[in-house]
Amino acid sequence: MSFLFLVGVELKKIRRSKIFLILVLATVILWIPSVLNADLNFGMQAEGISPENNFFIQGFMAMAWFIFPATMVVITVLQNQTERAGHGILKMLALPVSTAKLCMAKFVVLVSFSAIQFLMSIGMYYVSATIAGSMQNYNFILPPLFIFKEVGMMWISSIPMLSLFWLLAVCIQAPVFSIGIGLASVVPSVLIINTKVYFAYPMAYPFFVITSEYGKLATNLNTAQVELIPWLPVAALITVVCLMISCIRFGQAERR
Amino acid sequence: MSFGLELRKVKRTGFLPAFLGGGILAAAVPVLNMAFRSEIYVGINAAPVNILLNANWQIMSMFNILLVVVGACIMYNTEYAEGAIQKMCTLPTKESTMFFGKIAVLIAVSILLLLIETISVFGCSVHWFEVSADLYMETLKSFGFFLLLMLPTVFCALLIASLSKNMWIGLGIGVMCVFAATMIPSQNFVLTLFPFALPFQTLENHTADVIRNYAAAGAVETVLIALLEIMILKVRRSFE
Repeated sequence: MSFLFLVGVELKKIRRSKIFLILVLATVILWIPSVLNADLNFGMQAEGISPENNFFIQGFMAMAWFIFPATMVVITVLQNQTERAGHGILKMLALPVSTAKLCMAKFVVLVSFSAIQFLMSIGMYYVSATIAGSMQNYNFILPPLFIFKEVGMMWISSIPMLSLFWLLAVCIQAPVFSIGIGLASVVPSVLIINTKVYFAYPMAYPFFVITSEYGKLATNLNTAQVELIPWLPVAALITVVCLMISCIRFGQAERR
Repeated sequence: MSFGLELRKVKRTGFLPAFLGGGILAAAVPVLNMAFRSEIYVGINAAPVNILLNANWQIMSMFNILLVVVGACIMYNTEYAEGAIQKMCTLPTKESTMFFGKIAVLIAVSILLLLIETISVFGCSVHWFEVSADLYMETLKSFGFFLLLMLPTVFCALLIASLSKNMWIGLGIGVMCVFAATMIPSQNFVLTLFPFALPFQTLENHTADVIRNYAAAGAVETVLIALLEIMILKVRRSFE
C-alpha cells in the first residue's frame, strides 16, 4: 500500500470525529476578544507598532501560546482513542503494512491538521480584521503574502513540537499522562521564550517565532531574534529522534 | 460508598500520580522563581504571600485547571471506553450518584493539589521573607479562597466530561474553556465569573466586598452546575 493511501485511510477514520467543530470553535474564540478590543490597537505608541500589525500579532500570539499546542494534544488523543475503541489498532497491526509506515501516516495527519488550523486562523483573521476595520473605520487588513509567510514559518516551527506530542501519545499508554504531560508542557513556554535555551524546548517554537516577529515590527521593542545556528540542528535532531522512537515503539504495547 | 468505588476505578489509570506530579510541578513554580530571581521580589513592600501569589499564581492555577480538566475526562473515559457506563446504568443506583462520587474524588485530589501548592508558597515565604504573625492566617485564607473558587471549575469540567462519550470532545471543549478563561480581562467582574476563570483570582487584588461576591458566586455556581447536571442526566436517560 502506498504511503499516500495510508494517509487517506487515516483521514477517513477521523472523518466523523467532530474535530473540525472543535477547531472552528477554537479559532472563533481566539478572534472574538481581538475584535471586541480592537480599539486597544491604537494605543501601542510605546511599543511603536502600527495598529494593523498589532492586531495580527496579538491574535496569533494568543494562538501560538496555548490554544494551538493544546488542540494538537487533543488531536493526538483523538487519533489514539479511535484506534483503541473496538481494538481497531489490533486489526491495523494484523495487516501486511509496516508499523513505521502506519505511524508516519498518522503523524502526517497530525501535521496536516496543524496546517488546517493555521489556515482556519488566517481565514478567521481576515474575517475579524474586516469586522474590526468597519467598527473602527480603519484598515486592519495586511497583504496575504506577508501573512502566509509569517504563518508558514510558525507552522514549520511547530513540527518538532508535534513530533514530541506524537512521541508522548505513542509511548505513554496511560492517557492521563500523555495528555497531562502534553498540556502541562505548554504552560511554561511563556517563560522559556525569554531564556537563552529556547531552542531546546519545542513547545515554545511557534510562540518564539511570533514574538520575534513582534520585536521586528515594533520599533521600540527588542525581543530575541531567530538564530538559525543552534536552533535548526537542535530542532531537526529533536524531530528525527522523536519520530524514530515513535516508529519503533508504535503498536508494541498492543502486540505483547 | 460511591467515593471509595470511584477511587478504585481510577486506581490504575495513573490518576493519583498525575495529580501528585502536577501538584509538585505547580509547587515548583514559586520555588524556582524565587531561587533564580529573588532580588526582584524581596524588596517589595507587601505581605510575602501576596508577593508570591502575584508573581506565580497565574501559572500555578493554569496547571491546576488543566489537571482538573484532564482528570475529569479520564474519569468519564474509563466509563465510556468499554461501555462500562451501560452496566452502571443497570445497577440500582442513580447516575447522579456516580457523578457526585466522581466529584468527591476530584475535590479530594484538588485539595491535595492546593495543599502541596500552599505548603510550597508557605515554605517560600518562610525561607525568603521575614515571617510575620499573620502569615499563617493569610496562607490559610488564601487556601480556602482558592478551594472555594476551584469548585465551579471542578463541577463544570466534570459536567463537560460526563456529556461527551468521546474523550477528545470533552477534552477539546475543556481546553477551549481554559483558553477562553485566559483571555478574560481580570478586572471585569462579570466575565471572571465564568467557571474556568474563577481559579485565577487571588485574595489580595480585591477589596473585602469583591471577595465576598466572589465567594458567593463560587458557591452559587457550584450549586447551579450540580442541579444542571442532575437535570441533564435525567433528560438524557429518558431519551436513550
